[in-house]
Amino acid sequence: MKKVININFQGRVIPIEESAYDMLKQYVESLRKFFANEEGRDEIINDIEGRIAELFGDSLKKGATCITDDTVNEIINSMGRPEDFEGEESNVHSQLGGEEKEYKFNNTTAGETTARGRLYRDDNEKILGGVCGGLANYLRIDPTIVRLVFALITFMGGSGILLYILLWIILPSRPLEGISSTKRLYRNPDERVIAGVASGIASYFDIAVWVPRLIFAFPLVLGIITSIFRGAFWMDVDPFPGIIFGSFGGTLFVVYAVLWAVIPEAKSASEKLEMRGEKVDLNTIKNTIQEDLEGFKSRAEKWGGEFKDKAQQFGQEFGQTVGQKGQQFGAETGSAMKRGGRRLGGIIAILFKAFFLFIAGILAFALLVTLLAFMVAGVGVFPLKNFFLEGFSQNFLAWATLLLFLGVPVVAFITWLIRRIMGIKSGNRYLGFTFAGLWFIGLVCGGILTYSIVRNFDATAREKHEYSIVQPSTGKLIVKVPDSKVKVYGRWFKMDGIVSMNDDSLFLNNVRLRIVKSPDSAYHIYSHKFSSGRDEGAAVKNIHEISYNINQSDSTVWLDRGFSLKKGTKFRNQGVQLTIQVPVGKRILIDRTVSRRLNWFHVGNGYDWEWDEEWNSNNEDWNSNIEYIMTPGGLERVKTKEDIEEEKRRQRDQDREADSENAVEQYKKSKEELQKEYERKQREAEDLKKELDKPVDTTRYRYKKATAMNEAETKPVIEERKESHVPFEASRLLMMQMVY
Amino acid sequence: MDIQNTQSQMRKGVLEFCILSIIRQGEVYPSDIVDRMKAANLHILEGTLYPLLTRLKNAGLLTYRWVESNSGPPRKYFVMTDKGLEFYNELERTWQELADAVQALTQPPVTSVHEETPTQP
Repeated sequence: MKKVININFQGRVIPIEESAYDMLKQYVESLRKFFANEEGRDEIINDIEGRIAELFGDSLKKGATCITDDTVNEIINSMGRPEDFEGEESNVHSQLGGEEKEYKFNNTTAGETTARGRLYRDDNEKILGGVCGGLANYLRIDPTIVRLVFALITFMGGSGILLYILLWIILPSRPLEGISSTKRLYRNPDERVIAGVASGIASYFDIAVWVPRLIFAFPLVLGIITSIFRGAFWMDVDPFPGIIFGSFGGTLFVVYAVLWAVIPEAKSASEKLEMRGEKVDLNTIKNTIQEDLEGFKSRAEKWGGEFKDKAQQFGQEFGQTVGQKGQQFGAETGSAMKRGGRRLGGIIAILFKAFFLFIAGILAFALLVTLLAFMVAGVGVFPLKNFFLEGFSQNFLAWATLLLFLGVPVVAFITWLIRRIMGIKSGNRYLGFTFAGLWFIGLVCGGILTYSIVRNFDATAREKHEYSIVQPSTGKLIVKVPDSKVKVYGRWFKMDGIVSMNDDSLFLNNVRLRIVKSPDSAYHIYSHKFSSGRDEGAAVKNIHEISYNINQSDSTVWLDRGFSLKKGTKFRNQGVQLTIQVPVGKRILIDRTVSRRLNWFHVGNGYDWEWDEEWNSNNEDWNSNIEYIMTPGGLERVKTKEDIEEEKRRQRDQDREADSENAVEQYKKSKEELQKEYERKQREAEDLKKELDKPVDTTRYRYKKATAMNEAETKPVIEERKESHVPFEASRLLMMQMVY
Repeated sequence: MDIQNTQSQMRKGVLEFCILSIIRQGEVYPSDIVDRMKAANLHILEGTLYPLLTRLKNAGLLTYRWVESNSGPPRKYFVMTDKGLEFYNELERTWQELADAVQALTQPPVTSVHEETPTQP
């Protein structure tokens, strides 16, 4: 007994046995694969189908009631199977030129594909270039595994991408036969608690449903329990983060959400079969549908009215299944699919594509990292939130902002990544909308939160407080900040102005010091405490919470390191402006510890009010560790020992410079003088010579002798002077060099 | 060395030439080609013929026209183009040369025959 179905084959209705139809379908499919890279593939398939249809027609004309297995077998044998073509095809077209060589290559390899052996990129199972699909086909494993391995390599060392691109370029592409027995991961809508993720995983790994459920649920339950306990013992009413962000439980919660989004629901009968890993063909689909139908019946009895909906759903499912089959068949027989042999020309395009994807990937990754950083920063600031946020609504908004505005893009990105990895192409449209919607809500929450926080800083108040101090006897005031006994090191999250922070108080060192001229002859110290608030009353109340003191011992004033905000007090730009009035003629020294341990900061615009009449030009910036003296014109540095020495040194330098300049001039002068003297002496000598040349007169002999002696006396003198001035010149030069 | 492989290689070499020679004689339907080749004791799978014809057609050597059929979908009848005829003539010359060469080589060498004759008594 065999079932006969009617098929539309090449425009004709043909009655055919179901098994014969399966055979025919398989045959056509095998041909399609064989000729996959052939230029005129569709035409060839069409021709062959046409011929088969003709043979069917002949068979029916001869009196056959339907096409049987035998008929199909006979026809297939006469047409030849792809395995049979192989030998015949390989060398047929050697004469048709270079183009044919490619056919030859492709066709010889085509047969081997089905028999496994060569590595290709899989055209049928691809996300980017089909490299993973091809590898999976070659290794006969699930493509998802290969993809995960690639993803892992990429994230570990980054070489995965390069390897992928390399393989993309090297490997030829062709549609490969999928592994028909592969199970796919679906969500199971029949057995579900939330979305059927756990039961889908269970049927994928062939384990009992409760195992994955427990894995998902246990940390969640644990989280709830611990948060309850915590709430009971510490009165910490903060259950929201306790459950969701209870480390492990939170992770699994996110994993479940992501899987929910990523894994498609097994809707149609064939998908349900794939989920269970059963072979998908018409008979098994039928059985499944029947099972479903029975299940529906029993449920219908149970729930009565729901039956209608379920039946409708079923009808849709069945319609979908049939529609899919029809589409599949249509795709097989139709000529819509166009696959050119774009091997060589495609390489450049592929390179561009790869480059683009690479860049896009980097951008996406950077975005993800940024968002994660924001998340982490948000969590880092988290302990501070109690000091910033007021009331339930702000807390709620803060959480909404953190989760939706920052968290949703992260989840969306991970979802997208996993979907790509799993090879789910047709995205759920609503998923995107949901993400966008949630993100938008987060954005709005963030806006409202920001507004409401800013509003909390609306009003600002300040209060003056004067400290009484004993006038220092030395005429010099030293200002210091003591070392704190407890030091906190290694806090990665650092914010100016916050010294330390624990559960119930925030310690701020938001203190500024300024020095002004005293109106009388005494030192005065007073402070302005100030704070913002929603309104003036709140601001004043905040001011009264600030406790800032100074201590004095002799001429040293110790300033508090800061002030603490108690739990319940909010951070509203609290700060202390300390003013020291120094009388004219008195000195002040501000220790280095002051500038090191006090820190001025404020959020927002700060305080731009007028600082009264005292806020005058006298308020010069001071540097720590420098002694100042107050003069009628303002603060002036007191010359320290170093200063004096420095000045002295500078003076010395200047003097030396001047000295050397003098020396040069002196030298020049003396040289000129020497020259003049030399010339003068020469002239004298010439005069003497003239005298000498005069006619000899015995009476004058004595005189002559005397002059000669005189000459002998003078000459050595000149020589001597010449000799002495050489080292003199050298020493001058040396000095000049030293100067310049 | 597989004898069957060698045989099929030899057949394959002339397959195209044979098909073209059949088409040259007039408009023809693919299954007729198979029949005629079968009659000449040269077997070919129909499944191999279709891709071959498509390629020849795409190379511009053949063209076809649709003919209505009463036993199935419209049939494609193939006919040779001028370019195909040229191609065929080229092939024929090659074949003739090849046949002559094979003939010459497979015949017992004439010289050796001459050498042997004197020794015969």
